[in-house]
Amino acid sequence: MRLYSASSEETLRARKLLTDWAGEGYLTKAQYQLLEQETVSELRTTNIFLRLVLFLFTVLIVGAAAGLFFVVFLSRPSEQTAGVFSLIFAAVCYAAAEVAVSQARLYRYGIEEALAVCSVGFLCAGMQIALFSGSPYSAKTDAAQSLVPAAGAVFSLWIWRRFGFTYAFFAAMIFVPFLPGYWTFSHSAQHLIVAVFYATGLAGVAAVRARHRSDYLEEDYSLVEAMLWLGIYLAINLQLSSLSLLSFNLPVQWWRVTRATSEFARPFYWGTWVLIWCLPPIVLARGFRQKDRFVIAVGAIAAILTLVCNKPYLGWPRHTWDPILLGILLTAVAIFIRRWLAHHPGGIRHGFTAARLSGKDKHWMNVGSNVVGLVSPQSITPEPQTSNPGVHFGGGHSGGGGASSDF
Amino acid sequence: MNILTRLEQWKEQNKISPEQHAHLAGLSRREPFSVFLELNVLLYAGVLAFVAGLGWTVSTWSKQLGDVLVLTILSAILAACFWYCFSRVSAWSPAETSEPSPIFDYVLYLGSLIWSLELAYLENRFHLLSGRLDFDLLATAVLFFFLAYRFDNRFVLSLGLSSLAGWFGLTISRWSGPQDAAYRQYAILYCLLVGVAGAILQRRGVKPHFFGTYLNVVVNVLFWALLSGVFNREGYGLWFLALLIACAASLAWGLRRRQFAFVAYASVYGYVGVSSMFLRGVSDGTAVLGYFVVTGVAMLVLLVQIGRRFGRPA
Repeated sequence: MRLYSASSEETLRARKLLTDWAGEGYLTKAQYQLLEQETVSELRTTNIFLRLVLFLFTVLIVGAAAGLFFVVFLSRPSEQTAGVFSLIFAAVCYAAAEVAVSQARLYRYGIEEALAVCSVGFLCAGMQIALFSGSPYSAKTDAAQSLVPAAGAVFSLWIWRRFGFTYAFFAAMIFVPFLPGYWTFSHSAQHLIVAVFYATGLAGVAAVRARHRSDYLEEDYSLVEAMLWLGIYLAINLQLSSLSLLSFNLPVQWWRVTRATSEFARPFYWGTWVLIWCLPPIVLARGFRQKDRFVIAVGAIAAILTLVCNKPYLGWPRHTWDPILLGILLTAVAIFIRRWLAHHPGGIRHGFTAARLSGKDKHWMNVGSNVVGLVSPQSITPEPQTSNPGVHFGGGHSGGGGASSDF
Repeated sequence: MNILTRLEQWKEQNKISPEQHAHLAGLSRREPFSVFLELNVLLYAGVLAFVAGLGWTVSTWSKQLGDVLVLTILSAILAACFWYCFSRVSAWSPAETSEPSPIFDYVLYLGSLIWSLELAYLENRFHLLSGRLDFDLLATAVLFFFLAYRFDNRFVLSLGLSSLAGWFGLTISRWSGPQDAAYRQYAILYCLLVGVAGAILQRRGVKPHFFGTYLNVVVNVLFWALLSGVFNREGYGLWFLALLIACAASLAWGLRRRQFAFVAYASVYGYVGVSSMFLRGVSDGTAVLGYFVVTGVAMLVLLVQIGRRFGRPA
């Protein structure tokens, strides 16, 4: 099913590990040069920057070519015609992606990725236009219309399996929440259906990934499992999913939002409250047991979100000092774990260490420090409460930590 | 053949020693498993949440708490942070140095943010600088640069660079006349100042590893400024010429140093600028779409060739 052979991908993985180990001084330069010759792959790769730019230009070409086709050959086409041609474009894009891999041996090169992504876009647009455009609005649910997100999800999953693009799996997950809206008006049922979909996927992935310990698919499955855990958490956390993701003032709105318990059945509402407390320890336990970086990260994110959402769940008012307490808690946990690990001989306890073992960690730290340092600290400061309208805070300029802002 | 099998093979062929094999096989099996990155992210998130909450609390309750209490608390935290940093730091070295303790960088970052918070509070409550907030930013930028170089900290260097940019922006906003043109000129002045300073410091061997941060900031600000000039309705010729020169320089730098971010900057910013020139006044949809198809393919071919010639083999 997969377009790339296992040996090619294993070779690429070995090459990356060699570079990392050589950078950390675990291999001498002579050893690295010798072993590097044994990890030459026939696949053509590129660096992340060219990959992004190639992706961008491929999307531009495909979009412009499709537009040009419609302008030149189909002046004022009917909706069905436009939809059918979109589906043809989807097929052409997908075929081009396959050819780019099988003939040109492109691997994470940007071009084949953009073609595959465009094929999903054209498929969904084509199906929507050809089958459902101009459908009269109905107060009843129309299960047939769920065909579009379902097709999008299935095709994204296929692309994930075929090309190994993890973000295609993420795209499939994004399509899922659009499905239950066509089947039922009940919000509780919608949340439940989405969670069940993700849980089913999780069970499947957990069963499969056991066979891929220490091979090239391990990281892929790790990321997919982490995304599914996060998806389940977001589906059951009614405070988070009540938000409009398109809101421009999301952080503040999120801080103030309180979901009325009456919108959901009481047992369901309180059941999800119990679950958002149960899930983070389960995810963290699994992550630590599997020594899985992505799952641990999702467990930590879920734990923080649970702390943040607990008050609105219970209907308690938030306080301006809540983030202070959260910050102290996070810092204390980090310092405690670091010390706890460091006080054991060799700085290793139960197979865990706080020491840096990979050059990638340092690289990510440097990139992160450059990026987040440039983000204005005032952007993380919520707007003041209206209880004291004479005093307001914000409007600081970048980097000054609000130094230019006014009270 | 997975990595463990390969390592076994390399050990049998005496390409790696048994000790190296044991160590590398352990790393591959994640034995031990490093939580270095996770703990650092947790510390960073903790500092951000703390400062955000502090800022929010101070802004909401300053009248009830009173200036004395607010300033005492902020000053105490600030003093504690800087005392911690200055008491633990080793002698200054122009080379890259490691942090004295795992939490050192975050204490310094916390101190820097608290400084900004306290300065903003003082200015807004007591108007010490008669509303000249740009002086606040300039003082903050100077302090951040000092701290960044004293403690070898990229977090604070980035804060200093953005504070300096804020100072330039605020200064210009007080001027009368066409603001866009003034912003553009001063953005270029900012690039020159920061770029030249970064280059001189790198040449003199003063924290040369900071140069990448300087260069990335300068290149992006410069391209934005030049592009905004190219988008002008009139008098865009010189800006276009400057954009082409900047693209060529960025491309040459990227290829020579194998830093493909600069190749990407040159490609994207250059394409946007050139396209805006070519499509100026063109309203025919077919021509516009045709232009994007043809030039997009040309860019794709060019970038693939660059990748083949200058990139690493797989």
